[in-house]
Amino acid sequence: MPDSLKMISVRSVYKTFGNIEAVKNVSFSIGKGEVFGILGPNGAGKSTIVNILNTLVRPDSGDVIIDGVNIRNDGETIKLIMGVVPQEIALYEELSAYENLLFWGGLYNIPKAELRAKAIEILGFVDLVNRKDDRIKTFSGGMKRRINIACSLLHNPRILVLDEPTVGVDPQNRNHIFEVIERLNSEGMTIIYTTHYMEEAERFCDRIAIIDSGQIVAQGTLDELRHISGINDSGTSGTNLESVYLKLTGKELRD
Amino acid sequence: MFRLFKKDLTLFLHDRRSVILTFILPVILITLFAFAYGSIGSYDGRSEPVELLVADLDQTSSSREIIQKIDLLEDITVVASDSAEAKKSVISGDYVCAMIIYKGFQDSLKYGSSIQVELVYDRSREMEVGILQQNLTGTLMSSAGVIIVNSSIEKYMLEHFPDLEKSTRDDIIRTATGDDNRRLSVKWTSIVGERNDTKLGLIQAVAGTAILMLLFSVAGVGTSILEEKENGTIKRLLYSPLKGSTILYSKMLFAFFISILQLTTMFIFAWLVLNMDMSVSIPGLCLMIIATSFAVSSLGIFLAAVARTRQQAQNLSTIIILVMSAIGGSMIPMFIMPAVLQKIALVSVNYWGIQGFYDLFWRALPLKEILPRILILTGTGLVMTIASIRLFMKRIKNL
Repeated sequence: MPDSLKMISVRSVYKTFGNIEAVKNVSFSIGKGEVFGILGPNGAGKSTIVNILNTLVRPDSGDVIIDGVNIRNDGETIKLIMGVVPQEIALYEELSAYENLLFWGGLYNIPKAELRAKAIEILGFVDLVNRKDDRIKTFSGGMKRRINIACSLLHNPRILVLDEPTVGVDPQNRNHIFEVIERLNSEGMTIIYTTHYMEEAERFCDRIAIIDSGQIVAQGTLDELRHISGINDSGTSGTNLESVYLKLTGKELRD
Repeated sequence: MFRLFKKDLTLFLHDRRSVILTFILPVILITLFAFAYGSIGSYDGRSEPVELLVADLDQTSSSREIIQKIDLLEDITVVASDSAEAKKSVISGDYVCAMIIYKGFQDSLKYGSSIQVELVYDRSREMEVGILQQNLTGTLMSSAGVIIVNSSIEKYMLEHFPDLEKSTRDDIIRTATGDDNRRLSVKWTSIVGERNDTKLGLIQAVAGTAILMLLFSVAGVGTSILEEKENGTIKRLLYSPLKGSTILYSKMLFAFFISILQLTTMFIFAWLVLNMDMSVSIPGLCLMIIATSFAVSSLGIFLAAVARTRQQAQNLSTIIILVMSAIGGSMIPMFIMPAVLQKIALVSVNYWGIQGFYDLFWRALPLKEILPRILILTGTGLVMTIASIRLFMKRIKNL
């Protein structure tokens, strides 16, 4: 991929916590407007990679360049470029949806009037404008997840990182979330999607990196992964990725 | 930082339970304790001797003899002083009582007039005063009584039986002397808390309970950091352009603000509803509220910094708060406690806070006199703040 098309470039990144090697020699590139999936079981190192990209965790070695900015030199700019949707529903339950949006957006020093308008717009985007004044604690799990995403969009990030955004969400709300992500991507936003659900990775991701024990085992489009794994089965897509994963890691994803 | 502070305040106001715990419960407890402490002060003994300041202005053999006898008592240790210094020390709370033997003491014994001794004391320390009253009155009366009877009999014998041998005269005096002190009385003068109308029990109830409840409220603010860590909002805050230190400082600021608000509310309640006399040093009161709030809020944050989970922080806070409040005088007035506990109490924030409020409301001391307590509270707060910052900044990286 030519540098001009790259939004994110990760090269030979290592990170250890004590004796645990959380990330080992990880390299990948993500193009502008691309949806990049990081697929792996819990504890594989997905969240550590997300935290490195967002400058929350400093890599022991290696380079990370985001939109031409080295994360070691200018962490603040990275935080403005990037929106991160954490795995947890990181919202204040006692505040209303609108108050949450105003609070989280306010951290990016967005002018008040602009922020208010943006909050209403995003509430409409996630289809919750009619619940704007209700406290988060009265929301269903899926609605909370949508607000969780909405809070990361207020500062107009160019990159959106979604860390397992559909954990514990019912199918109907999951579809709502999928629609939101697809619309964001259609507007040109670069998306990093970490998940351990095969079907989600297959549905959105232009390219997928399979990670296991802190290492990227393989990466590419679904077809490239099939080729790498030596599986040319053209059956149902869900089965395909699962087979690819099994072949590449030697274990089931649920392990 | 203000945005985070405002968010915490909004969350606090939304949480009715927190508001009740912070304001309503302390008010109820203060009222209950104020009634309960209305009848405190029963004497139940203690092992350490009470220090008695003695100013001997008479400087005669009789005054020295009495001082020596008092010093021999098991429960009292005599500390020499002068009259003005002795009174000042009692007022400032350094000593419970001072005995002033005025000039003319020996003559008053000889001529049977009222004896020239005054005992000035702090009635807030009822137990120690009780010990002194019990021991001192007896010794003083018997010693003075003996001197009076001796001199009266000797005078009579010399006048009427001048030829009697000295040994016979001494035998007669020894036989005649007893504890005849029916005519004698010693003046006991309370010199602390007389200017102020506030009852001692009320000061104890307000100061003790307010600080106890303050600790619980602030521990709640502290554990909210761990709650935020557990539900992911701290991590999300760190994803934003905010610095880790800003998050911590805003929590500290919020804990400090709530502490000041809570303490101030308690004193206003005590003033308006319980008729607490507020004619004290207002700068002193403000500084005491600020210093106590700072020390207590720092302790709350420190406890949260030490713990790794919210549950751990809650358990740790409950234990530490109850122990500190018990030994520091929040639950039981200090003067009822054994001497050894009174010394241990020095490590408690409650002790310095409560004693500072005693200084203000009971002893009516000016700001200058309570500055050491304010400095100790501020210093304690600073030490715990620095320790909390270090612990948090170390841990925040592992979120």
